[in-house]
Amino acid sequence: MAVTSLTMRGLVAMAAGLAMTATACAQTEVNVVAFAPGFAWANLFGPSGTEKTPELLAFEEKEGIVVNMEYADEEVARQKVLLDLVNGTGNYDLVMLGSDGAVQTYSYAGYLEPLDGYLDKATEYFDPSKVYPQFLEANRVNGKLWALPYYSFGAGVIYRKDIFEKYGITEFPKTTEELEKALQTVKDGLAKDGVTNMYPLTMRGAPGEEPTLDLAGFVYAYAGYPAWFEGGPTTPEEIKSKKAQPIFTGDFKPGFETFVRWAKDFGPPGIATHTWVDMMNLYGAGQAVVLMPSAINGFAALGGTQDEGVKNGTAFAPSPVGPSGKPIQSFWTFSVGVSNFSKNKDAAYKVLAFMTGKQSMEAFAKQIGWPYTTFPEIMHGPVLAEKWPKEVLDAVEASYEQAVPHYFPYIPELNAYMDRIGTSASEAISGAATVDASLDSLQAWAKEQMDKAGYYK
Amino acid sequence: MARPTVGPWLFSDRRIGSRPPSILRDWRLWFVAPAVLALALVVLFPSGYLIWMSLMHWVVTDPDITFAGADNFAAMLGSADFWSAAQVTLAYLVLSTALMIVLALGLALTLSGTRSTGALRALVVMPLIIPPVVVGFTWRFLLNGEMGFLGAFLFPMAGIRISMLADPVGALFSVVIADVWSRTPFMFLIFLAALQSIPKEYYEAARSDGASVWQEFLLITLPLIKGALVLGILFRVIDAINTFELIYVMTKGGPGRATQTLSILGWKTAFQGFDLGGSAALGVIMLIVTMVVAMAMFRRFLRVKA
Repeated sequence: MAVTSLTMRGLVAMAAGLAMTATACAQTEVNVVAFAPGFAWANLFGPSGTEKTPELLAFEEKEGIVVNMEYADEEVARQKVLLDLVNGTGNYDLVMLGSDGAVQTYSYAGYLEPLDGYLDKATEYFDPSKVYPQFLEANRVNGKLWALPYYSFGAGVIYRKDIFEKYGITEFPKTTEELEKALQTVKDGLAKDGVTNMYPLTMRGAPGEEPTLDLAGFVYAYAGYPAWFEGGPTTPEEIKSKKAQPIFTGDFKPGFETFVRWAKDFGPPGIATHTWVDMMNLYGAGQAVVLMPSAINGFAALGGTQDEGVKNGTAFAPSPVGPSGKPIQSFWTFSVGVSNFSKNKDAAYKVLAFMTGKQSMEAFAKQIGWPYTTFPEIMHGPVLAEKWPKEVLDAVEASYEQAVPHYFPYIPELNAYMDRIGTSASEAISGAATVDASLDSLQAWAKEQMDKAGYYK
Repeated sequence: MARPTVGPWLFSDRRIGSRPPSILRDWRLWFVAPAVLALALVVLFPSGYLIWMSLMHWVVTDPDITFAGADNFAAMLGSADFWSAAQVTLAYLVLSTALMIVLALGLALTLSGTRSTGALRALVVMPLIIPPVVVGFTWRFLLNGEMGFLGAFLFPMAGIRISMLADPVGALFSVVIADVWSRTPFMFLIFLAALQSIPKEYYEAARSDGASVWQEFLLITLPLIKGALVLGILFRVIDAINTFELIYVMTKGGPGRATQTLSILGWKTAFQGFDLGGSAALGVIMLIVTMVVAMAMFRRFLRVKA
């Protein structure tokens, strides 16, 4: 009798277990790949990136979706995305992108799902009408939206107001011409005072795609348009219809030359290898007076600095305008898209909306504290108001309004161009080649690329 | 002189040069089948896949993957980037190999005597166990021109004012130094083992004949460690052609393209240029170059004459 009862109990327990497993299996799973654990979505995956927070668990329970996050080093994450997409495996439903190459390349190749048809499906999490339109525009290619923005930024300058004032500059220059003079004044002042470990300017000049985001902003400010191809077309169709040739030795040159000259004349000795991390560290250590035009890296430096001068003497200024009357640009979104090979696109979009929605961005603002956000409500809300004076928030917001997200061409080959242009800048800054030689080589390479890609058939 | 048999316990009735055993006739060969299969899966399949990729037009921006024949090879061999990267690779290889041989041999000669302690040898070998990525970061921080101990403090005190990593020539020397620091211990171990296998009687006999230390080195040591020397160089050549992590971490191939070796170019072609076919073609070229160099060295110096 006892044996029978035990067996029955065992069977019931087994059935219950199987039922629970079946329920769990029936849940939709959404796999995500991204970088920066503890920084990106720490509100959902904790400071280590490996634990699910109550906020995420509540979402999973409500929607019946299990979210699996895979964090990797930035380069590794990008490589995982590339390999997953080109092989069409659909292992990742949501893929980390960026508005400086990945969105353009992958959308043209057909590897991403256009999101326009989904935008009204999860408005409780992500309401596109409540986002700064520029950040959506940055992820729009050929009129279609391919990704939603997570943390994002516009152009600006972070600088040491105390040092500017020390050398008699009471107001931050509004034009590139004035700024160059101011940098020279600071340089002379530092030299006169015998300060050898502080540099008037820090920017990024490492080989690869990084400097191009900022350098293209210089080109835009000097030429007044995205001067990569004749007439400034920004789409493949425009380039093809006009048979627009590359103009890297033409209108592209003044902006490029200024970027290189400033880096050489006012930057630290290692600037030809500097990434955003180096410019951030240098500013945070009190060794740079101006950080531009991606001011977000300066705000990042403020969070970790022990230098009292940096803490108390830092100010934000709008990006100066170039000879064209247009400001230097630097605009980027860390965006996330839905893989075209995802088997659960609706669920994937819901997770994407949740991860980039107001709740998530508010948590990001609370945790990181930089005065950048994709939602005006957060920009004017209590979280950032507690951390920043109103004039800083207003100035950052104004930088969004001045932004031209498509200040470089949105072509499938953008990634390769970004890499090549940045490497050419690094080459010219280091003195391995002159500006003219670098641009000649860039021009020849670009012509070959465009010919090969069939733009001028 | 009769040729030695290979493994008398295995194929006692077979000799080198005779007809190879057939898997159909000799059931014992089936026992090695799993190992051969595993090797085929691990080595042959990826290599075959690489060759297949190199023959395809596979560019991420173009969803159609089509047969391209030798186009990728022609484009790669015709590009200025390839030849610039080949030059950098050659300079890197020659500089690092020469420095490594001198250092490793010097250390091995110094520490091969009975008086040297195991602790000292362990200290010399230590950099070998540090992963190349960590080595790269360490040297990058040390050489940093604004904050690094060497780059910002020691070098300026010695009158060196350039930022090593941001200078085209300095950057190449920097990655070579980091590589030499990291990989010399491996060569040291090979040389040390070879030196310790030389019978002491040879030196005693030479000394009794009045040979100088230099003559001992030239006439006894060098000929007897020739095999180890060539083996060390062979490993080094293969390693230098394929070095990636260290350069990537330290300079990412820069400034500009000053340290852009063939491996870095391959990575850039695939993951920045999104040209997977072109990158595979470069991989195949590197594979062929490495094999040719290795085989030439093997044939010239290591093949045992019957």
